[in-house]
This record gives sequence, C-alpha cells and structure tokens, in this order.
Amino acid sequence: MSGGRPARSLVGVITLERVAKTKNRTRILHDVSFAARPGRVTGFLGPNGAGKTSTLRILLGLDRAESGAALVCGRPYRELSHPLRTVGALLDGSGAHRARTARAHLRWMAASNGLPAARADEVLEMVGLSGEARKRAGRYSLGMSRRLGLAAALLGDPEVLVLDEPVNGLDPGGIRWMRDFVRDRASRGHTVLLSSHLMGELAETADDVVVIDRGRVVTQGALAEVVGDHPSLEDAFFALTASGAGDPW
Amino acid sequence: MVSLVRAELRKLLGLPTAWAGLILGSLLAPVVVLLNAGSERRAPVDADTGMMELGVGLIGPMILGVVALSSEYTSTGEDAPGARQLTATLIAAPRRMRLLAGKTAALVLLVAAQAAVTTAATVTLTQVLHGDRVPVPAAGRLAAAVLYWVLTALLAYAIVLITRNGIVPLAFLIVNSTFVSVSYLLTKVTDAAAYLPDIAGAQMFIRTSDFPVELSPAAAGLVMSAWVAAFLAAGALLFQRRDA
Repeated sequence: MSGGRPARSLVGVITLERVAKTKNRTRILHDVSFAARPGRVTGFLGPNGAGKTSTLRILLGLDRAESGAALVCGRPYRELSHPLRTVGALLDGSGAHRARTARAHLRWMAASNGLPAARADEVLEMVGLSGEARKRAGRYSLGMSRRLGLAAALLGDPEVLVLDEPVNGLDPGGIRWMRDFVRDRASRGHTVLLSSHLMGELAETADDVVVIDRGRVVTQGALAEVVGDHPSLEDAFFALTASGAGDPW
Repeated sequence: MVSLVRAELRKLLGLPTAWAGLILGSLLAPVVVLLNAGSERRAPVDADTGMMELGVGLIGPMILGVVALSSEYTSTGEDAPGARQLTATLIAAPRRMRLLAGKTAALVLLVAAQAAVTTAATVTLTQVLHGDRVPVPAAGRLAAAVLYWVLTALLAYAIVLITRNGIVPLAFLIVNSTFVSVSYLLTKVTDAAAYLPDIAGAQMFIRTSDFPVELSPAAAGLVMSAWVAAFLAAGALLFQRRDA
C-alpha cells in the first residue's frame, strides 16, 4: 500500500466532517458530521430519502461532496490503494453484472486488490452461497444478491464495514444471520456502520445511533442516550424528527 | 497496476458479449476472403485483397470497446434498478484515472492480440487462395491494420465513456462500418470528411481509395490517433468529475 499506516488512533475510524451535497439544485446534505468507531456497530437511521445512501456514497468515494470531509482511517476513500483490504461495502444490489457468475464477479474484484482468487470461494462459503457459485448473478433472488454483495464486502477481510440497508430483502432467517454477523464483527474490534430505516432492527443491533432527517443529523450518541426517556428508539425517532404521525408519507 | 489490468481483463473476458465480439471479429474477415475468392467479379483481386476485408471484422473491436464500458453502466437487476457494476468497480479501484488506465490497457491488449491473429490469418488465407497475384503486405502495413483495430476499439470505448450507454453508439458504429457508411457519404459532400476517424484511419493500410483527400499512412495514423485522444480526454475528464 502506498503511504504509511495512519495514526494509531485513526485505525478503523470513520469520520464525516460537515459534509454537504447539492443535487439538482436541492441541498440534500447539510453539514453532516459523525464518527463510527472500532468495536462498535453504528446505526445510521433515517426515513427513506433522508440522505443515508447519499452520505455513504460520498464516504465511499462514489459521489463527491460539495464541501466537508469524509474519511476512513483518516484518509479519503479515493486515496486508498487497495481499499477492499480496509473497507468492505455493501450498497444497493450485488454489484455483479447479470451475465457474470458469482464466482467470476468475486474473482475479478479479488484480483483488482491483489487478493488470491481462492478468497472468492471462501467468502461465498461464509455467506452460504457455495452451491450457487456458478450461477449467473442475473438469476439470483433478491436475498441471494444481498448475500453476494456482502461476500464482495468481505473479500479483503476488512476492519471496516459500511452496509447500506443490509437487511432489505432478507427473510427472517437472513435478518437474524445479518444481526449476528455484524455483532460478531464488532466484537472482534471491527467498525460497522450500517444504515437502516428499520428502527426495531437497529435497536437490536446498534451500539451507537446517528439519526438523519432531511439531510441533517438530528441526534447521535450511544443507543441508550438517543432513546433517553422515550419508551423506544422509535418513539425517540418520531420525537426528534419532523416525520410525525400526521405526515406519514 | 498489473493487478488492476489483470482484473479488468478477467472482467471483460467474463462477459458473453465480449466473447461474441472476439469470435465474430476474428472470423468475419477470413470468411469474407474465402467467400469472395469464388467470385472475382464481385471482388476484383488487387493489392488490397485481404486488407480490405479486415474492415468487416471491425465489428469485433467495436463490440469489445463498447462492452468494456457499457457493462459497467447496465442495471444489475430489477430488484435494484439503479444498481450497476460501476459501483463495485469504483469501490475496488477508487482512483479514477488509475482505473481508467487499467481498463484501457486491458482493452488495448485484448484487441491488439485479436487484430494480430486475425490479420495474420486473413493475409495467410489470401496468399493461399490468390498466390502471387496479391503481393504480401509489408510488415508496416500489417502493423497499421492492427493499430486501426485498436484505435477503432478505443474510439468506441471513448464514446461510451461520454454517453454511459452502449446501445446507441454500438448501433451507429456497426451500421456506419458495414451497411451505410455515413462517413463515406459525407466525403461526397465535403472534402473535410476525409479527416473523419474511420475514413482517415483506413488509409493507414488501404492503398486504392477513392477518397477526395489522399493521406499518407503516417498522416492517416496521426489523424485517427488525434480523434481517439480527443474523445478519450473528454471522456476521462467527465469520468473524473461525474458522480458514479
């Protein structure tokens, strides 16, 4: 890898500092700032359209922020030379071209980061897709696509995981598996940042919570702090955001 | 960088469409030489026999150039209509200029190999069929034919880098190179059309042309390279700036 190791204190830390973004002349992110730390699952919570995916795409170098900084281990994602070894990311879909087999998809990804081709079969095994390795990605079900996307995120055995709505499309067994999976990663000292609009799910999984609404972070902290005196995370969420009962959609 | 080029080659060769381009492009020229051998009235034998037919095979590099990029932009499934392979590509290789360099190198390597094999096969077949009536092309002319294939692939690739969609560019390029050459028709309207990339580029290795402006092979090569460089530069600039 180019460049030295980041300062010890920044290993595995995700930081966003006053990230702003305008799309089609509308400000979609307003000075978004938060951090996700090693050994903890950080839940990024907000309704659909609040700016969760936009924030994560900026963090992963896919989209550009208008201002502010999004850093992984103290560096912008775009400056990482073998990023799969540091960060595993799961976004919408599997990322695999429909005509490609799962194994072929994972093998080119491994090759691009200098990882051995055998890693493809190892991560397929981890997500329970060994039997479907030769199937074309276009024929995968939604749940299988998510698992393939997760397999890709695990290729480089990264210390940081960024997961956008990871339980979307999963069946109850899959949701439980995902919950155990992220808890296990955090217990090994890894950083997990996951977005969700499912408050019940996050309340079960997250140590820390960042709540975003209409492009602004409205509160953040340890789960218990964010819930505060409210009966549940859901109640806290509705009290904190403008998405009240009279304005459901 | 080597690992990136290897990954991009692996990625391109993992697509059925790329194989269609490889096989079609490699077979068309020799097959046309073979078919034309039966009818000299249709195709008079001269110094361009064999070389002219290489133009038909250009469908191969066009498909390869287009699919190398269009595959990044096609939707990966109905479940997630906005999801594309490009996301995975950029997550694995976030430095865009480096990624583009690796991708371009993979395409050049693949098309150059295909063009070398096809040119050798076509010329050999021409010699077998026509013997002394067609002079063996000089090495420089053969190299120019290979270069023409590579530049054609790069031109198709650069266009998709700008449009982010492969269907329209591919349809236009194939029609233009086979059924109705818009470029050729334009040469009947204005002499300036002689400097269009496909018209100029062909003069790198085709001798008997009826184009309004005759270019030396070197000048032809420069004109086509300039086109490709300009399109690539524009595409690269957009690729660097756009949100994925």
